[in-house]
Amino acid sequence: MTERTDQLTELARDADWRHLDLRMLLVHPVNELVRFLPLVIGVFFLGRSSEGDPWHYLGVAVPVLLGLWRFASTRFRITGSQIELRRGLLSRSVLTAPLDRVRTVELTASPIHRLLGLAKVEIGTGSGARNGDNRLVLDSLGTAEGRRLRADLLHRAPAVPDAVAGNAARVPDGPAPAETVIMRLDPSWVRFAPLTTSGLVIALAALGGSSQVLGNVIDRAANASSVGGRVRALPLLVTIPAGVVTFLLVISTLAIGGYLLANWGFTLSRDPSGRSFHVRRGLLTTRETSIDVDRLRGLEIHEPLGLRLVGGGRLTAVVSGLGRRAEGSTSLVPPAPRTVVIAVGEHTLGEAGPLSVPLVPHGPAARRRRYLRAVVPSGLVPLVLGVLWLLAGWPLWPALVALVLPVAGTWLAADRYAGLGHALTERYLVVRSGSFQGRRDALQRTGIIGWNIRQTFFQRRAGLVTLCATTAAGKQVYHVLDAPEGMAIALADAAVPGLVDQFLAG
Amino acid sequence: MSQSVTLREPAGRVSPRAPVVWAVAALVRGIVLAAGLVVASVVLELFSMPWWGWVVYAVVALGYAALMPAYRYRVHRWESTDTAVYTQRGWLSRERRIAPMSRVQTVDLEQGVVSRLLGLAHVTVTTASAAGPLRIDGLDRDVAERLVDELTRRTEAEPGDAT
Repeated sequence: MTERTDQLTELARDADWRHLDLRMLLVHPVNELVRFLPLVIGVFFLGRSSEGDPWHYLGVAVPVLLGLWRFASTRFRITGSQIELRRGLLSRSVLTAPLDRVRTVELTASPIHRLLGLAKVEIGTGSGARNGDNRLVLDSLGTAEGRRLRADLLHRAPAVPDAVAGNAARVPDGPAPAETVIMRLDPSWVRFAPLTTSGLVIALAALGGSSQVLGNVIDRAANASSVGGRVRALPLLVTIPAGVVTFLLVISTLAIGGYLLANWGFTLSRDPSGRSFHVRRGLLTTRETSIDVDRLRGLEIHEPLGLRLVGGGRLTAVVSGLGRRAEGSTSLVPPAPRTVVIAVGEHTLGEAGPLSVPLVPHGPAARRRRYLRAVVPSGLVPLVLGVLWLLAGWPLWPALVALVLPVAGTWLAADRYAGLGHALTERYLVVRSGSFQGRRDALQRTGIIGWNIRQTFFQRRAGLVTLCATTAAGKQVYHVLDAPEGMAIALADAAVPGLVDQFLAG
Repeated sequence: MSQSVTLREPAGRVSPRAPVVWAVAALVRGIVLAAGLVVASVVLELFSMPWWGWVVYAVVALGYAALMPAYRYRVHRWESTDTAVYTQRGWLSRERRIAPMSRVQTVDLEQGVVSRLLGLAHVTVTTASAAGPLRIDGLDRDVAERLVDELTRRTEAEPGDAT
């Protein structure tokens, strides 16, 4: 197309520009008000002293005007092959993304949005993955319009093959046909919440934040009242377990709360044309994520120690073109029973192999390395304490207590070796590793775009390598940890034919 | 699967002047760190360093600057074929990287101050993966330019968006 015809079509299409939903006018001022709340309160309270001061009206007007400004200045449109987002009245910025680069579409609705029947639409494209702002955000559209836009974006994307095949698979306009529900959250799964790593981290952070305040309160209560005296009168055998139980209860409650907030009503479904997966979840703020099937490069099963001990796990999708930042938006199954995770995974991949195929273990050298790395550092502690007891007159009990460490280390090493392995199926490379953060990843072999073969000094001496399959999806690199060199190279050669063979020795 | 399969080393060596760049960089790092130690111990008096501490530090830093580059030179290698780029880097820890030509996205050529004085250049080949850049340090400038041209030509010929 020449430049002039470009300009002409530009003019002709100016009518296509769409606004955000008018109701967003109510969302933004409320949001801005909340953000400006300290200022607004300050203005009103301080304003009292000097009557008739116009400042406190400004404090309310500014956020409202900002909302109006954003409504007036934001437009978007979909042309034949791309989506454009225009922002700003005086200084203009136009964000453009080709439709075939759209990987995910996410509809988020905070309680205010839901009240007004609105949703924020975030469009994930891979184009700017390296410079941060790779998401187009429309805040906000009416829920129905948002869903229509999502259907448009995801179904128009691979336009070329579709045109060839005839548009039989196109979704007709009007009410959306029923989706196939693959999985729905069973509320009893909250029992897994306290055992997830993220649940623990959130709970600990919350506790840490409040512990200073709590500490003060407890101190004062203990010193000032008779409660302190009574608690101190109790034997340690009672107070310590009571403290531990309270701690666990608080942590569990926080974790369960977090789980419900994020995952209430979690539904995974496949759209009628089979071209995308939808995930719907959230108690207060609801979130609907859609993942283009063509961009799905594999799955990750996460089995952190706590979940694994009670037979649970969670599942995430490996989606190409989304950076590591967007990992949170690709959850397919929240912490749930392992059987559910496997069933959903098999359904999503369309085959059973990658998630259940027995794995090739990495052999005696890898096992030795697991034990060395776990037992040596943890064994040094009681050793040093023992020496201090002998030479420096320290008490003996710290050394005896520290003997727990190498015992735990031995168990950890055994578990880490048991978790180590890989397999190659017809379409997938499967790798598993870890104990505390146990995981099994299945990566499409066609999604592998390079190999890194790493050897530390000690790995070299043990004849082991860490083979890393690089990819444009998920966490960008998947490790085959501590495999014997020959096994790793043969695996790399077999997984991506015609790449490694030209560099083989002999 | 045969267990005796191994990779051979990439065919090409880097420029024999590359160790000079690494040695200069190691010396500069050593001097900066020494300056930091001087500030911390003499000026700020955070700790006192005995005289033999300085001697040990000097021996380690100079030994590193003298031995590491030669050792590293034996490891660093590269190769580019019709269908792939293959590099080897490191010294104690080593890393080999292989990227298929069809997945190469960008090819960069850079020169630092010292490398420019010595007529050297570094080539970085990136793929769509954030974990995949291949870096070749210390090539002769004209070798580097020829390599960049060649890679650019080959990747342009490949269809698809390399993901």
